[in-house]
Order: sequence, then structure tokens, then C-alpha cells
Amino acid sequence: MPWPVYLALKQLFPSGRISFFTIIATAGIMLGVTIMLMVTSVMGGFGYQIGRMIVDTQGDIQITAVTLIDGRKAEQIEKVLAATPEIEAFAPFASGVVMLEYANKPVFPSIQGFSFERMKKVLPLQRFMVAGSLDDMDDDSVILSTILATNLGVDTGDKISVYSPLMMERIKKNEALLPREVRVAGIFKIGHQQLDSSTVLCSLRLMQDLYGLDRRVHGYNVRLKPGANMEEVALKLEQTLPLGTKALTWYETNAEFQAIVAFERNMIFFLMTFIILVAAFSITSSLLMAVVRKTREIGLLGAMGGRARDVALCFCTQGLLLGAAGTGLGLALGFYLLHYRDNIVHLIARLSVGQGTFQKFYQFSELPSHTVTRDVVFIVVFSVIASTLAGLIPAWRAARLKPVEALRSE
Amino acid sequence: MLDAVIKAAGVRKNYLSGDRTLAVLQGVNFSVAAGESVSLRGESGSGKSTLLNILAGLDRPDAGELFWDNEAAHRLSLGQLTARRGRFLGMVFQSYYLIPEIDALANVLMSARILGSVGAPERSRAALLLQRVGLGERGHHLPTHLSGGERQRIAVARALMNRPKLILADEPTGNLDERTGDEVISLLLEVCAEEKTALVLVTHNPAHAKKTARQLLLQNGCFV
Repeated sequence: MPWPVYLALKQLFPSGRISFFTIIATAGIMLGVTIMLMVTSVMGGFGYQIGRMIVDTQGDIQITAVTLIDGRKAEQIEKVLAATPEIEAFAPFASGVVMLEYANKPVFPSIQGFSFERMKKVLPLQRFMVAGSLDDMDDDSVILSTILATNLGVDTGDKISVYSPLMMERIKKNEALLPREVRVAGIFKIGHQQLDSSTVLCSLRLMQDLYGLDRRVHGYNVRLKPGANMEEVALKLEQTLPLGTKALTWYETNAEFQAIVAFERNMIFFLMTFIILVAAFSITSSLLMAVVRKTREIGLLGAMGGRARDVALCFCTQGLLLGAAGTGLGLALGFYLLHYRDNIVHLIARLSVGQGTFQKFYQFSELPSHTVTRDVVFIVVFSVIASTLAGLIPAWRAARLKPVEALRSE
Repeated sequence: MLDAVIKAAGVRKNYLSGDRTLAVLQGVNFSVAAGESVSLRGESGSGKSTLLNILAGLDRPDAGELFWDNEAAHRLSLGQLTARRGRFLGMVFQSYYLIPEIDALANVLMSARILGSVGAPERSRAALLLQRVGLGERGHHLPTHLSGGERQRIAVARALMNRPKLILADEPTGNLDERTGDEVISLLLEVCAEEKTALVLVTHNPAHAKKTARQLLLQNGCFV
């Protein structure tokens, strides 16, 4: 083992013990890495979970048109979709906003109309059902999101009134259209507070009736086969679909939201890097003190034939070893805490505002986490480089010391 | 002097002290034969340590020549001197300068480690040297657990580790009591003689100086 590395190890672990300086410096880097990993994973988790929810409720690709899609255009679109080998399944939809009323209590949720038989192959709707069943659905029934059902005070089997914008149109023409009485056939829970607060699902025919669409639809949800490239398929569809029709990936349809999520994540990532920089500065300051404290030892090494660059290497190695140890421990602690994140969050919620209040103001019932390999690699490289560079300034100072002056120092 | 292990000729060294120039060494001529022991005495500020540093290649003379084993050391850069120093000479200091984080054996081995790898022969020699300086049983003790005399013995063993041709000892008994100092000097002279290593001993103590083969007195930057 080269003597600078040997001496660096001995100074960090004198006689097999771990020096106090080593513990403190390693802990600084460890905490920095842990916090960076946790924050980026949780932020990534929000983005990832939102992405999954969008895919589960919209499909991978959404086909929309400038105008309503009528029978002829629908036929053309379906022909193109059926001929695309990367597509697993597709189904038409119509969407809008309605007013629901139950026991004189009105709410204004968004509503999505599907052909349930076809949509089952595109969206895993059955997975989200907490009461009732999709098989109980007919053209006079709806499925409500869980918070919406709770707020209205309805359960499966209850009857509610649906008021559509078409009623306003009819009133303008001095015509009266009565609200539609529908049965609550089921309740679903996606796990996202916003979606669970105000979403209604119904059959496509009911939605077409409520909006006066006849047989027309607003678009198609498309699910791709596993491994298919979403962007490439969307581009291919754009070129083959009828004029005035767009094929947008779930990311594109929510581009602004995704950009905000990505921006927030990157900003937090950037701010978190300063934690590691502060820890690296603490290494610099401690190693500088070591250089001052060991001035005569440095002189001795020179007197024994140790080259200035080897003396510098000794201090650089200490920075590198502290960085590597701190990063390794930080990753271990970070992944451990991420594994038990929900327990930690629930504990904090219980000790602070309470579980109920916490969930009310929080978008997710559980703290999501999604760790990207690229982020972990960046954290490791950044942390180790910052720690090694932290050892460079003390190393440079040590290398500049002339042995004769160092030996003379008091 | 062909068999001189070290030779300095016309060495001058000045230091600036405010506006004044202090001539610390004024054309010093000095040589030590292989295996010879020489003592340097002189008052504080007479230039003993400066001469020792120049002989060790730690400092440069303002004028004059220095030969290490007939090699013109004054023509080498400080970096080149550093590269040769570990093999050519060993140093013993007043304050021992042991590395506190490593044990006695590792301190002795440090000289060999700086020159290259440490294998079984080096370990065996280090253990032998520790045995020779009377600390064979204390090889795994940290310097902080040793007395001043014991630390200086380890420093002696460390200086001899690479079988240098010359030992430069700068007041090695300065921090020791009289009896321990006497023991250390006797040991230093004995082991240098056994190893056939030349010794330059800087000391204030006339009794210690007398134990060397040749005694020199430095006064105002010149030998008298």
C-alpha cells in the first residue's frame, strides 16, 4: 500500500479505532447524502405516482380531435389504431362536468363516460373499486370517487340526480329537461386526493345522453403493449390518423404539470447539493486544522524522503475516504428510511397535526418514493468528488510546507 | 577525501533579520568519513542546526558545495534531494517527531514505507532494530504510551531502518534527563558503529561530544 494511503488510513483509524474527526466528518457527508437521496426519491415518487395515475386513468396515449368525433371519423381512427401493432387496446370516451345532487346537497364533479367493456382492457378500473362492481354498471348508474361519495353521504344502491350543461342549453330555448336519476353502482379510490374528491364514471351512452352528443365521442384512450415506445407510437399515429386528430402521450397532455413537478424536483435537488457542500467544507476546515497541528510531522515526512505530492496525496486520500464512507453510509441510511417512510410520516402526523388533518391537506394517503439510478449515481459522484476536493486545499497547504520550516515550527 | 560519506566545501548561509543580514555560516568546510562519528558543538545561534539542515539537503546554502557519497548534491533540486535523502541518511531530532497514530514498530517501518513497499525482510529488520534499542517488547505500543527516552530510541531505530550511510542527530538528548540522555547517546554511538553508519551529532553536552571520534566547535559560522 502506498505510504500516503497507509498514513491517511492510520490518521482516520488510529490503531484500529475510529477517530472523533472521522466520525464527525463521515456523519456530515452521510446526513447530506441521506437527505439528498430521500428528498429526490420522494419528489421523484410524486412525479412517478402522478404519472402512473394518469396512465391508469387516461391510458398511455390519448387521441383527441378539434371537433367531436363522429361515426365516420371514429371508424377511420379505430382502423388506424387496430392496425398499429404496438397498441394493446383502445376505447372511446366522452368527458365533461356535471352537477350531482343528493338530499339537497349539490356538488360539481368531472364526469367520464366509457364503454366499460372496452375500457376494461385499457384502464385497470376494477383495481380501484372499493365498493360495488363494474359488472353492475348500466346506462342508469354511475360510479363515484370515494371522497365525493363520502361528502355527498351516498353509498352503493342510493339514487342521485345528475344535472348536465345540456339543461342550460334547453332552458335558453324555453325547454325543460329534467335531471337524470341514476343509481350509485360503485365507489372507487385511486389514492390521489384531487381525483378521489370529484370524479364520476358512467357509461358512454349515459354521457352522450347527458351532453347531447348522439353517437359522437371526445376521444380515445389507448394502452400500449409493454415495452412499446410511447413517443414513437404517438408520432406514428399523428402521421396516419385523419386530419384534425391528435395523438398525445400522457406526458404531453399533462406537460405543464409535469414541467412544474420536474422543475420543483430539480430545484430541490440543486438546493440539497449545498448540504453536501457544507459537509465538505467541514472536512476542509478539519483537515486544515490537522495540517496546522501536524506541521512538524509533515516536515518529518519530508526529512525522511517523502515527496511533497505524496504528502498532498495523504490529505486528499483522507477526503476521498471520508467521502466514500459517508456516501456509502448515507445511501444505506437513506434507503432504510425510505423503506420505513410511511411509518415515519404517520408518526410525525400523529405527533403534529394528527393523521386525519394531515391526509386532508396532503395529496397522497401514503408518501410515494421513486429512486432513479441516474440520481443515485449523481449523488455518489458529487458527494465523493466534493469530499475529495475538500481535501485538496489542506493537501495543497501541506505540500507547500518546506520540511526545514515545518520542522522549525513551534 | 575520497572515502568521505558527506562533504561540504565553502558553505555559506545568510539570513535576513529586518534590515540586517546575519551570516550564519561563513565558508564552512566539513566532511565525515564512512562509519566515523563527529560531534558539532556551539552556542545557540552558532549555525549548528543550519549546517545540519544543509547537510541533510533540507536547506540550500547560499554558496559552497555539498557532496553526498561523492555525488554533487548542491547541483540537485530539492525534489531530487528528497528522493535520495531517505536512502542516504537518517535523522534524529530533539523532539523525536514520532507519528502518534501508529505504534512503535510502524513508526520504525515508516522509513522503509516511504522508500517503497514493506515486506517480510523490512518487518524483520524493524523488529530487530527495536530489539537492539531495547524496545523489542514494546513494538505495538503507541508513542503516547512511551517515555521520552523510549521515544528517542524508536527515533534512532527509525533513522537506521534503511541502512543509511549517515545519521544526522540534532540535539537528540535535548528533551531528556541526564541519565536517559547518556543512555541514548551511548546507544546511538553503539548502533551506528555496529551498522557502520557515520554519525554527525549536534549537542550542547561536552560529555556526549567527547564520546564521538572527532569533535568540532562552531563559532560565529566557522569551525574553530
